[in-house]
Amino acid sequence: MSVLNIFLQQLVNGLVLGSFYALVALGYTMIFGVVKLLNFAHGDIYMVGGFIGFLVLSVIAPIVGPGWTGVAVSMVVAMIAVGFLGVVIQRVAYQPMLNAPRLSILITALAVSLVLQNSVLTLTHGQYQPMGADLGFGDINLGMLFVSYNQMILVGTAAALMIGLELFVSRTQYGRAMRAISIDKDMCRLMGINVTAVIAVTFFIGSALATAAGTMAGAYYGSIWYFMGFLIGIKAFTAAVIGGIGSIPGAMLGGLILGLLESFGTQIPGIGSEWKDVFSFAVLILMLVLKPTGLLGKSEQERM
Amino acid sequence: MKIAVLLTTTAIALAFAAPAYAEMKIGILVPTTGSEAAYGQDMANAVDLAIAEINAAGGIMGEQLSSVVGDDGCDPQQAVNAASKLASSDVVGIVGGYCSGATVPTLKIFGDTNIPFVIAAANSTKLISANPGNAFMINSTSNDQATKAIEYFTANGVKSLAIVNQGDAYSQDLADMTKKNWEAAGNIVPSFEVANKGEQDYSSIVTAIRSANPDAVFWTAYYADGGLLIRQLRQAGFQGKIAVGDGSNSPELFNIAGSAAEGVVSFSNPTAEFLPEAKSFIADYTAAYGSAPGPYAPLAYDGMNLLANAIKAADGTDAAAINAAINAADYTGITGAIIFTPENTLAHSNFVVLQSKGGKWTPAE
Repeated sequence: MSVLNIFLQQLVNGLVLGSFYALVALGYTMIFGVVKLLNFAHGDIYMVGGFIGFLVLSVIAPIVGPGWTGVAVSMVVAMIAVGFLGVVIQRVAYQPMLNAPRLSILITALAVSLVLQNSVLTLTHGQYQPMGADLGFGDINLGMLFVSYNQMILVGTAAALMIGLELFVSRTQYGRAMRAISIDKDMCRLMGINVTAVIAVTFFIGSALATAAGTMAGAYYGSIWYFMGFLIGIKAFTAAVIGGIGSIPGAMLGGLILGLLESFGTQIPGIGSEWKDVFSFAVLILMLVLKPTGLLGKSEQERM
Repeated sequence: MKIAVLLTTTAIALAFAAPAYAEMKIGILVPTTGSEAAYGQDMANAVDLAIAEINAAGGIMGEQLSSVVGDDGCDPQQAVNAASKLASSDVVGIVGGYCSGATVPTLKIFGDTNIPFVIAAANSTKLISANPGNAFMINSTSNDQATKAIEYFTANGVKSLAIVNQGDAYSQDLADMTKKNWEAAGNIVPSFEVANKGEQDYSSIVTAIRSANPDAVFWTAYYADGGLLIRQLRQAGFQGKIAVGDGSNSPELFNIAGSAAEGVVSFSNPTAEFLPEAKSFIADYTAAYGSAPGPYAPLAYDGMNLLANAIKAADGTDAAAINAAINAADYTGITGAIIFTPENTLAHSNFVVLQSKGGKWTPAE
């Protein structure tokens, strides 16, 4: 493999990884935007999304097959189901805490994370669950550069979801309300905006996006387990901070940047894979020191 | 009244039995309580099975064998008590040792009386340095796994080897040892990677490996992440050999890697199902105890037979003579050849090579 081949291949790897990070980071950033909550249960929503997607797929696979059609249908069904789960979690766990000190709601989020993780642990006995999807191995082989159809579909789906979200937030009334609430919640309420409903929609969309990532990751990597949300939760949070937490384009950008950093970090001569996370998180620290609001974030008075 | 009868009966029995043949006692040091109790009981059963067979064949020098169990509970403190009890109960030799941590402190106790101690399962390299000279390790250490791996790769025409570990003590040790010995043998390691535990995406490592273009990839860590790596290597078009260490030879690997695991090679301690010589052992064990032998039963069985042979060779129960006989032993048991180095570790690795076929581990070759 020539240097150019390696560069292109790592670029593709970084894009795929970055798409997953971005989808999960979007939920973090949207929820932070409207309720100023770092929802640490978000990685576990991704995990639950993977499991619900698996359940749906195991039901429909005999009818539509275990290929991309089956995965797409289960992804959509799981997105709706887990979207509602997100709304329920918000109502039960976060709504009563909205006016409590910021630290209390943060701890509640950690508790929700533990509840989700341990429920799935108990139900699955901590076993790895093969996803049961069969996506095939087709790829475009450009010399030594492999780009599989699966990778293209993954990145394409993630891009479509992000474009859809961007349109929703910039063109619809709910989107406008969301943006308004992130600026001043109390004023919105005085202006007659149904803040509770908008918060519910935000949790629905955030959870649905994480579920899309979870189902696709399960289908692409082949198996799911109860702890799969932990690391990606932290990475997506990092991506959200790099992009500027609260900013939707920032989360997309942050996810892609983190994915690329990790891929290319592996390839640094003399450092290699052992240090790639040190490298990525060093960038996070640098970012926090030099530009705490992130790449696309707006400076704000009140911050955690 | 009942007790009186019982005592009388016992006294009569002893009166007849005692002069007929003296008994030679063998100590068994294993955990029979606590989290590791199942493995320990399994080893004790295997030793007792060997003793029953030796007795049925006439015993040793006309004497029948019997066993005393000391329960170390896989706990260093309890192990010291159990070892002291065994050492003072007039045993000819000891077989056992499952948990390395609990076995290390007993070496001193058995060393003081120079009782022969055949360590059947425990395999930490710490046991080697703490050995006063009367302990014999018949299970291979991670050093031996590296040796076996290199033997395998060399025999299969591998020249350049990529090694991937997870940065923890176990997998890094094995990776470092393999790298050192592999390079000392004049081969190359073009790619030495560390994968994060719990990460799903290994594409960047896969690309790094493919750009180094090795003949084989050796994964030294556990099955969970190993399964993902194998799958992603194959998906990315890697066509060389893939081998995994003993932390990955679980059947769970097939769940995760799916069809990509076909042909993957793994190194394993000698468990009964993969030992061609162990067929009758499995049958006898199952007949005697109603369940199949566990992973360390074959080693415990061999350990007892090794000790019995050494007692015969020493022609007596003198500890120093038995120890010398064990060290000089050239014994072939169901787990393979047992020949010792001057350090009382195995001269040949007893690791076996397995290969995955149709979603199952089968012996390679």
